[in-house]
Amino acid sequence: MFRFMRNVHLALGVGFFFVALLFAFSSIVLIYRPWFPSSSERTRATAQLERGLDARAAALALMRSRMAEGELRNIREGEGKLRFIIWRPGTEVNTVYAPETGEATLDTRRYNFYETLVQLHVNHGFFHDFMPANLWAALSLGVSVGLLLLGASGIYLWYRHPKERRIGTVLIAIGFAVPAVALFATRLSGG
Amino acid sequence: MYAGLLTFTAFVVWGITGIHAVFLPPPGTEGEPATTAVREIPWRAPGNLDDKALSAAAVTASGLRAVGRPVLHQRDAGQNLTFAVFGPNGRSDLTYLESAGKLRVEIKGNSFAEFLSASHAGSRRRGPPEWGARVWGVYNEFANWAFLLMTLSGIYLWLATRPKIVWAWATFGLTAIVVAALWWGTR
Repeated sequence: MFRFMRNVHLALGVGFFFVALLFAFSSIVLIYRPWFPSSSERTRATAQLERGLDARAAALALMRSRMAEGELRNIREGEGKLRFIIWRPGTEVNTVYAPETGEATLDTRRYNFYETLVQLHVNHGFFHDFMPANLWAALSLGVSVGLLLLGASGIYLWYRHPKERRIGTVLIAIGFAVPAVALFATRLSGG
Repeated sequence: MYAGLLTFTAFVVWGITGIHAVFLPPPGTEGEPATTAVREIPWRAPGNLDDKALSAAAVTASGLRAVGRPVLHQRDAGQNLTFAVFGPNGRSDLTYLESAGKLRVEIKGNSFAEFLSASHAGSRRRGPPEWGARVWGVYNEFANWAFLLMTLSGIYLWLATRPKIVWAWATFGLTAIVVAALWWGTR
């Protein structure tokens, strides 16, 4: 059993190393934002599309021509123009399309490495039109389940070291009691 | 090992949050959260406060705890000042009914899973000022560093103690390829 659990712990550890590293490092970025540069690259381009398209058709035409890639978000209409965003983790294309003339202006914002990690951290769900975003979400789900299993197998492996039981029990008691009381107090304080 | 034992609770909270996130609706389709409680309390603001200072005083008077600073200041149709506060327990919308001398508090409470989800982002610098949230923030921040350390030390321990396990290398290599391909496909 010990050997099996040791292998499970190792398999989870090596299997989720890169995604766990992504989550761990992006959490640090989220907490200490000022430590990390927040630069992004902006480029502007224009495209000639068919006239009279709706936002979805215009976005699809841009995606087919490889001028933008991602999922369609935040459609707005005004002053005879359609405005929408084509988003994928780390890149946002703010698009203005004039149905009357067929002209589209694309303002692309490409976030830096750190901000992209943060966007991958908060990316969730399997509803994305952009397939890689769904795959990232699947990895996030995997690492979440993996965290629970890593924790459980880690506890088992610790328990099988009799010499470590006393100090381990103290640590696990502190590690449970302090945050549990803190969370309980926060929950009880209500809204 | 010691870091893992100390931060096990954070791992559980993060794991639950990650699983819960799968079931969240797409951005922009969440809809307004349901109101779970409404109350009105008699309150008159001192006359020399601007909207921002008034909203901060109103939050104190409302008895709401574990919430951040008031945001989303607006005036409703009757020119009453409305604003919102957010905390791990959910959102509260406050309206200062100036002519009636009342403060209306609409609470849109979080479920337990949403509470954990909101709490998982807590740190020393982020979260309400109450002691419970502060202690959790310090613990959660410590757990983040421990997680980063354990992720790296775990690989070191593997390479230092059992470097010849073929399936471990295969798993490591495969996930490296998958993550690199996904990164390339996304960027």
